[in-house]
Amino acid sequence: MFRRKRSAQDFAEEIKAHLAIEAEELKSEGLSEDRARWQARREFGNVRVAQERFYLRGRWVGLDRLMRDVRFGLRSLRQSPGFAATAILTLALGIGANTAVFSVMNAVLLRSLPVSDPDRLVYLRTSNPPRGTGTIDSNQTFSYSVYDVLRRQSGGLSPLIAYVPLSGSKVAVRYDAQPEEAEGDMVSGTFFSGLGVNLPLGRGFSQEDETNHSPIAVIGYNYWTRRFARSPDVIGKTLYVNGVPTTIVGIAAKGFEGLEPGGSTDFWIPLQSRRELNAWGNPPEDGKTYIADPKWWCLRMIARLAPGVSRTQALAQLQPIFQTSANVRMGGSPMEGEKPPVLSLADAKNFPGYDQTYGSPLRILMAMVGLVLLIALANVVMLLMARNAARQREFSVRQALGAGRGELLRQLLTESLILVSAGGALAWGFAEMATRLLGQWAQIESSLAPDKTVLLFTLGVLLIAALLFGLAPLRVALAGKAELALKTSAATSNANAGKSRTGKIIVALQMALCVVLLVGAGLLIRTLRNLENTPLGINVDGLVVFGVKPDLPSIPVGRAFYQNLIGKLRVLPGVESVSVSEERLGSGWSDNSDMQVDGRLPDVANGASRTVRSNVAGPDFFRTLGVPVLQGRDFADSDTASSPHVGIVNEQFAQRFLPNLNPLGHTIGTDDGSYTMTIIGVVKDHKYRSIDEEPIPMAWYEYAQIPMAGPMNVEMRVHGDPLAILPSARKTVQQIDPNLPLIRPMTQRAQFETTISYQILFARLAGFFGFLAVVLVATGLYGTLAYRVSMRTAEIGVRMAVGARREQVVWMILKDSLLLTAVGVALGIPLAMTVGHALASSLYGVKPLDAVTYLLAVVGVTVVALAATAVPAGRAASVDPMRALRTE
Amino acid sequence: MSTQEINDDRIALLQGTLDLLILKTLVLGPCHGQGVARQIQRQSEDVFLVDHGSLYVALQRLEDRKWIRAKWGVSDNNRKARFYSLTPKGREQLMEKTGEWRRLTRAMGLILDSSGGLQGEEA
Repeated sequence: MFRRKRSAQDFAEEIKAHLAIEAEELKSEGLSEDRARWQARREFGNVRVAQERFYLRGRWVGLDRLMRDVRFGLRSLRQSPGFAATAILTLALGIGANTAVFSVMNAVLLRSLPVSDPDRLVYLRTSNPPRGTGTIDSNQTFSYSVYDVLRRQSGGLSPLIAYVPLSGSKVAVRYDAQPEEAEGDMVSGTFFSGLGVNLPLGRGFSQEDETNHSPIAVIGYNYWTRRFARSPDVIGKTLYVNGVPTTIVGIAAKGFEGLEPGGSTDFWIPLQSRRELNAWGNPPEDGKTYIADPKWWCLRMIARLAPGVSRTQALAQLQPIFQTSANVRMGGSPMEGEKPPVLSLADAKNFPGYDQTYGSPLRILMAMVGLVLLIALANVVMLLMARNAARQREFSVRQALGAGRGELLRQLLTESLILVSAGGALAWGFAEMATRLLGQWAQIESSLAPDKTVLLFTLGVLLIAALLFGLAPLRVALAGKAELALKTSAATSNANAGKSRTGKIIVALQMALCVVLLVGAGLLIRTLRNLENTPLGINVDGLVVFGVKPDLPSIPVGRAFYQNLIGKLRVLPGVESVSVSEERLGSGWSDNSDMQVDGRLPDVANGASRTVRSNVAGPDFFRTLGVPVLQGRDFADSDTASSPHVGIVNEQFAQRFLPNLNPLGHTIGTDDGSYTMTIIGVVKDHKYRSIDEEPIPMAWYEYAQIPMAGPMNVEMRVHGDPLAILPSARKTVQQIDPNLPLIRPMTQRAQFETTISYQILFARLAGFFGFLAVVLVATGLYGTLAYRVSMRTAEIGVRMAVGARREQVVWMILKDSLLLTAVGVALGIPLAMTVGHALASSLYGVKPLDAVTYLLAVVGVTVVALAATAVPAGRAASVDPMRALRTE
Repeated sequence: MSTQEINDDRIALLQGTLDLLILKTLVLGPCHGQGVARQIQRQSEDVFLVDHGSLYVALQRLEDRKWIRAKWGVSDNNRKARFYSLTPKGREQLMEKTGEWRRLTRAMGLILDSSGGLQGEEA
C-alpha cells in the first residue's frame, strides 16, 4: 500500500459524522433532539467494537499483541526504576563476566588454528633427545638432520613442516632507514601450502625456496597492518633481517599468527643457512649453524596426516626411521644404557602453547565466573519474586477481571525478556571492553574478540535466564486466586510470600558460593603477595636491561665490539656500572647442561640432579646486579682472551659438587672437557630464570674468553629512573652500528615480573570476581531482607504495640540473617576446600587450607550479611506501632 | 442498560452479502456511510438489519482493496461526512459478484421449490 494508512482517529470522526447525520434525519422525522441522538446511537450498535475491528484490520495480531505486551512491560518496569536498574546491572555484570572469560577461553583453548582442516594436523614429539644434544624443549624440538631424513621418507605424514624462530625474543629488522625489532620464523618450503594458509597477496614458499635458502619473506597480516598500513606496495620491497636483505613476496591471511606458542609471528623466511640467520639467533657453534649441527635439537615440526593414513600407521612407519636418524652421529645406535628416543604425535588443532600456560587458570576463572553468574541469577530471581509477590493483588485483580493464566504468563515472560535483553546488551558491551583489557594484561597477542561461538554461548545464557525469570515468579503470581484480591488485607495476603522458604534457601546458597569465591580469591591474592615479596637476591632498583644483536663475523670482532660498547656506556652520565650477559635474567630461559668438575663429571649424592645452569657474563657482572660475592672476586676487565680462563659459581654449585671444600681454585668445564676454567668466585644464590623457582647450581663463563661471540644483553645500573638512560644508550649503540635497535629494553624488575604476569593477572581477576560476588550477595541480601521487613511491618507494629522493645525487634531481624549466614558458611567451607585443592598447583607459598584465608572469607561474608541487615533492621525498629497498625 | 431488541421482521445479513450491497448502492453515485446504511434498509423494505459497525468495517475493507475510494465532503444537510464512490475495479467486482449471487439464488430456488421434497417424506 502506497498511501498512508488511515488513522483510527479519522475512523472515529467518520462514526461521529454518521451519528450526527442519523440524528439529524431522525429529528426531521419528528423525534426530539435527545431522543434522536439516543436512537441514532442505539441503531449504530457498539461503537467501541467497530473501532477495535477497524484497528485490528489487516494487522498481524500476534506481533501487535507482543508490542502491547512489551509496552505494558516497559511501563510496569518504569514504575519501579530501582528494581529495573538493579536487575539489569546485576545481569549485565554476571553475564558480561562470563562472556568475557568464555571468549578468552574460546580464543585460547577452543578455537582451531585458522588453517584448512586443522583436525589432520599433528605436532611431532619425542620422548627424550639423545644424550649429549642441546635442545630448546626436550620433547618438542628436533635437529635439522632428523627433519631432513623424515621429510624424505615420510609417506604417512605429508607434508612435513619445520619451523624455528630467528631469535628467542625479537630480531633486528630494517625497512627503509629505521632499525626496529620484529618476531620472525624460518620455515620449511611446505609451511604455507602444507598448513593451508591463504595468502591474500603474493605467494608463499616452495620447496626450491627452502633448498636454495631464497632470501624472501612473507609478512603477517597484523604486522602488515601495524607497520605497513596494509599497503599492497610492500610486495617486492626489501626487508633487512639481521642485516640480510630479503624480498617481501607475500602477505599471510588475516587471523593466522604463526605457530609459535603464545606469540604472534611478524614475518617468515625460508630455512636459511648462514651465520647471521642461525636458529634462535644463536651464534654458530664451532662455526656450524643449526643445519650442520646434529647435536642441536632446535626445530619444531608439525605435519599433516596423509589422506587415509591414521596416526598409528604414520607413527609405525616413521618410528624406525626416526630412531636411526636421531642417533646419526653415533653411527645409528644409541650410547650404552641409553633409552632410544620415541617419536609420538600430538594434536595440533588448537593454538600452540596456550593450554600449558593458560589452561588451568582459565578453567578456574570460568568456574569462578560461573558461580558469580549463579549468584547474579539468584539475585534477580529473588528480586522478581519479591516484586511479584508485592504485586499479588495486581495479579489477583487482573485475574478477577478476566485475564487468563496464559495472559499473566505472557506478561511475566515479556517483562523478563525486557530485563534480559537490556542486561544482555549491556553485558556484551562489558565483555568487549573486558576482553580488550584482558588481552593487554595477559599479553596474549592473538585476537580475543568475541566471535560467533561466544555469541551463541551468551545467547544461550540469556535464554536460560529469560525462562528462569519468567517462570520462577509465576508460581507466586498464580498462587493468589482471583477471589483473594477483595477478601484479604495487606498483611495476610503477603505473609506467605514474605516468609518464603525458597527465598531463604537461595540466600543461604548465595552465601555459600560467596564463601567459595572469597576463599579462592584470597588464596590467589596471597599467592600474588608472596610472589611479589619474594626476594630476588638481586638489587633490581636502578637496573635496566636491553639486548643487542650486532653482526659479528669473527670472535675477535665480537670481543672488540662489546669492549667498546661497555667502555662507552660506562662513561654516560648517571651510569654506575655496566656489564653484559648472554642470557637475560628473568626471561624464563636458561641454558642447562652437565659440567665437569676437576676433570670429570661429578658424583652427586642421593641421586640429585647433575644439571648446571650456565650463563656467559662480562666484567663487574655481579656488582652491576647487586648480587653479593661471598668468596673470591667478580669478573674484571683484566680477564681477557689471553689471561687464564676464569669462572664463577653460586652457593648451590659449591655445596653440591664441592661439598666441604673451598671452591676457589678448582677447575670446572664443559661436559666434554673442551673448555675449562678456574673458579675465582662464589656468589650468593639468586633468582635467575623466574620469580617462583628454586635455586639450582649455576656457573658463569667469562664472555671475552669463550670461543663464541653472539648477541648479548646489556645490564646497566644507573642513578634515578632506569628507563631514562635508554635514549642516550640507544645513541651510543647506534654510533657504533646504525643498524642496531635496542632489543626489548626494560627495567630488570619488569623483566622478572613478566615471569609472574599471568599469576598477577589471575590473582587480580580472581580478586575482582570475589569482590563482585560480595557486592552481588550484599545487594541480594539487602533486597530480600528489606523486602521481608517491609512485609512484616504490620506484624512488627503489633509486636511493639504489645510491648516488644526495639532491641528485640532488631535482634529478631538480625537473628534471621545470622542464621542464614551460618547455614551458608557451613555449606560453603567444604566447597571452598575442594576449590582450594583444585587451585593447589597455582598457589605459591600458601596452602590450599590456609586458615587465615578461610577466616577472612567467613568474616567477610558475615560483615556483608550484618551490613545488609542493619538498614532493614533499623527501619523495622523505628516502625511506629500506630502507623503500622493503621495500614491495615 | 438497554439490551437491543431486534425487530423480528428483520434478517441479519449473510456473511459476504454486505460487500455486494454496498457496491450496488454506490453504483447510483457517491454516498456517505449513513446514506449507504439507510438506502440498504430502505431498498430492502426494512428487511435487512445493517449493523453499522460492520458496515464501516466493510467500507474500510473495500477501500483497502481499492474497490471503492473515499473523500471527506459535506452532506445534504451541511454536515461533514466521508463520501464513498466506486472505482473501475469496484464496478468489475460488482458485475462479478452480482453474477455469482444470481447463480446462487437460482440454485437455492431450484432446490427449495422442487415438489415432493419435505411433503413427500411426511406423507
